[in-house]
Amino acid sequence: MQNTFFPQQRNMRLLSQDTLRGFGGVGEGIAMQCLADGRRVLWLAHESAPKNFTAVDVSDPRKPRVLIQTDLPHANVRSNSLEVSGNLMAVAYQVSQPGLAPAGFDLFDISQPENPRLLSHFDASAPHSRGAHCLWFVDGKTVHMACGDPERVPRNPKDDQVYRIVDVSDPTSPKAVGGWHLPGTMEGDDAPPPKRLAPAFDSGFRAHNTNVYPQRPDRCYLGYLDAGAFIMDISDLAHPKPISRFINSPPFNGFTHTALPLFERQLLIVSDECVQDNGGDWPKLVWVVDMRDESNLVSISTLPMPPVEIHKQRGGRFGAHNVHENTPVPGSWQSEDIIVCSHFNGGIRAYDIRDPYSPREVAYFVPDAPAGSPVGSIQFNDVFVDDRGIVFAVDRHTGGLYALEMTV
Amino acid sequence: MRTDARTPVIVVSGFLGSGKTTLLKKVLDTPELSNSMLIVNEIGEIGIDHKLLERSDDQTVLLDNGCMCCQLRGDLQALLVDLGMRRYRGELPSFDRVIIETSGLAEPGPIAQTLYGDGPLARDYRLAHVVTLIDPLNPQARAAAQAIADAQVAAADLLVLSKSDLATPAQAAAALDWARAINSYADVIATSQGNMDVALLADATPFNHPAFGARPAGGLFGDLTAWQEGAAPGGAAASGTGRSNPPMERNGADTPRAAGQGSYLARQRSGIHPPDIGSFALRFDAPPSRALFDLFMSTLLRLRGQDLLRVKGIVYFEGEPDAQLIQGVCHIYDQPVVLDRQAGEPGQSVLVFIARNIAREQIEDYWRSLRRLAGP
Repeated sequence: MQNTFFPQQRNMRLLSQDTLRGFGGVGEGIAMQCLADGRRVLWLAHESAPKNFTAVDVSDPRKPRVLIQTDLPHANVRSNSLEVSGNLMAVAYQVSQPGLAPAGFDLFDISQPENPRLLSHFDASAPHSRGAHCLWFVDGKTVHMACGDPERVPRNPKDDQVYRIVDVSDPTSPKAVGGWHLPGTMEGDDAPPPKRLAPAFDSGFRAHNTNVYPQRPDRCYLGYLDAGAFIMDISDLAHPKPISRFINSPPFNGFTHTALPLFERQLLIVSDECVQDNGGDWPKLVWVVDMRDESNLVSISTLPMPPVEIHKQRGGRFGAHNVHENTPVPGSWQSEDIIVCSHFNGGIRAYDIRDPYSPREVAYFVPDAPAGSPVGSIQFNDVFVDDRGIVFAVDRHTGGLYALEMTV
Repeated sequence: MRTDARTPVIVVSGFLGSGKTTLLKKVLDTPELSNSMLIVNEIGEIGIDHKLLERSDDQTVLLDNGCMCCQLRGDLQALLVDLGMRRYRGELPSFDRVIIETSGLAEPGPIAQTLYGDGPLARDYRLAHVVTLIDPLNPQARAAAQAIADAQVAAADLLVLSKSDLATPAQAAAALDWARAINSYADVIATSQGNMDVALLADATPFNHPAFGARPAGGLFGDLTAWQEGAAPGGAAASGTGRSNPPMERNGADTPRAAGQGSYLARQRSGIHPPDIGSFALRFDAPPSRALFDLFMSTLLRLRGQDLLRVKGIVYFEGEPDAQLIQGVCHIYDQPVVLDRQAGEPGQSVLVFIARNIAREQIEDYWRSLRRLAGP
């Protein structure tokens, strides 16, 4: 057994690390705001209380500077996810026990990033709801999210967060316009309850990423944990309908997280999330899916992972989680050839998928465990690449924000 | 964005006593090159060069008791694969590049060939460039094994004239003339005590020569008579700014020498010009088809591989928008790698040959024949 490992880097170089005033645990919300005065501000949602979100001026990625850091109202709520559209920001709130509040999302005016101004709160609290875990907000008008719904009562409490659509064209008055859940998961459904994964891997049938892009405004690319990924027809926002489904579990261990469409390549990149330490739910992978026929999704490869026998010893989680999502907003890098992933202790890894049948790893960065890490390893939770080619990665526990230069 | 993610390998060559260890000791202390894995090859039973370098065991490997270009090529393959795997597993500190210091009696060509000839190696590593040091003070030493010294110069992308503080202008000019007569396509710089602009070493590439730049006049293969005759432009190293090592002017005079004069004078003066090794650049007037080019290269390599000391080029294939980098040594050439270029740059294909006993006309005739046979 080997217990010490060198930090690793290949074609990636650390420009800076900022532990965010000692609150270096960041969730899976990273969004960039490009201000009229030329500044670039990165907004980060924290993994857990006490902090809500932090704004960092990354105009010079070698010298990041925290502009503001906010607090949550209590210890049983987390923000985890946020998105920025122009000078509006949506921040998710998820509570640890159903019935608590705030559960839903806040909208802020961030035209002055040092002074975010609360515009409204969308309340999704209910006796069976934990609120919003993950949201998508890129067009300034619509929030798509994984969130509890007061009108949908789950048969199993793990299945509470569904796909919901909220009209925020008046940001002071958000209005729910539609939603969808996996048939059989809610009280009153005609369909029988879906077959669950084995108890060790049963994470629930819940929505996670709800990505919608301007190239196909009538489609949502939906990760739905143990139910796999769906392409949804959202031409009628009130009544989303599934078109197709990619499912890998069983035999895999569930928790489908993100479905990233590459429109010109007609590919769908689907990531799992590792949720157990020390390789307990290995393999959690990133799948390359052919979507030339969007009604028939076929996996054609997976992105090669570094050796599990090494990384499961490094502490904490190891496996797939987030990918850079080609977020359709100013300042976000767009690529259909290179996929950049955060693999917890597997680090940030970039893959060349020009040949989608044979993806190749082209860069990686695995630093030492950040100071104070409770698991003894880096736990990269999320990644965002800006249009300068700067890779921003965040640690789940203590390491905060890492700015990397990718040299491929 | 560059898409060739393989780890670059720099081969540092030069005859015994040419200053390789002195140079490496200096440049490996710099931030630009400190994160390098150094492989030192010494022929003696007890290697000492690696001790002179004073680097940690994690960053330096000694391949001793044999010559890397002949007995130890298998060892080099195995070592590189092992280093790559241990780096990937986090068992070794990461390194951004590999620098191979060859023994003074090694030919760099076969070492570079090792990188291309082995599948796992070619996936993880690419030949970045070959640097050859030349000692201007001591031409007699290399005369004892002139063929090896010539091969070291022929394979180089960057020639480093060492001990420039000690050499007289006549010694420097003689060494330069000898080198230029063999290889007119390498950049040349002068150093003393191993002091050089490390950016030049870190960023050197086989493809930074003007031959790969602007499109000249001329038809099939262009008109590169001057270069073919040995009057190399020699100014590629000056393309950057602020570098501490200016490129050497091959004639050491203020006024440019006429094309062809240099090699003639070199022959007269040094008497060691090897008439059998020469370099020339060939340009294609239209993008070749990939199939025809593959046939052209594979036949050349099969028939005359042992005499193709170095082939490198930038080729635009018919119907393909991106340029491909071509590199070859002896019988083997690397997989073409896409070169990312800005739109609007010239798109003429060019190949540089450094070859033994092969005339430019032979290659031209061969390509013309192939084209005619292939039809319109």
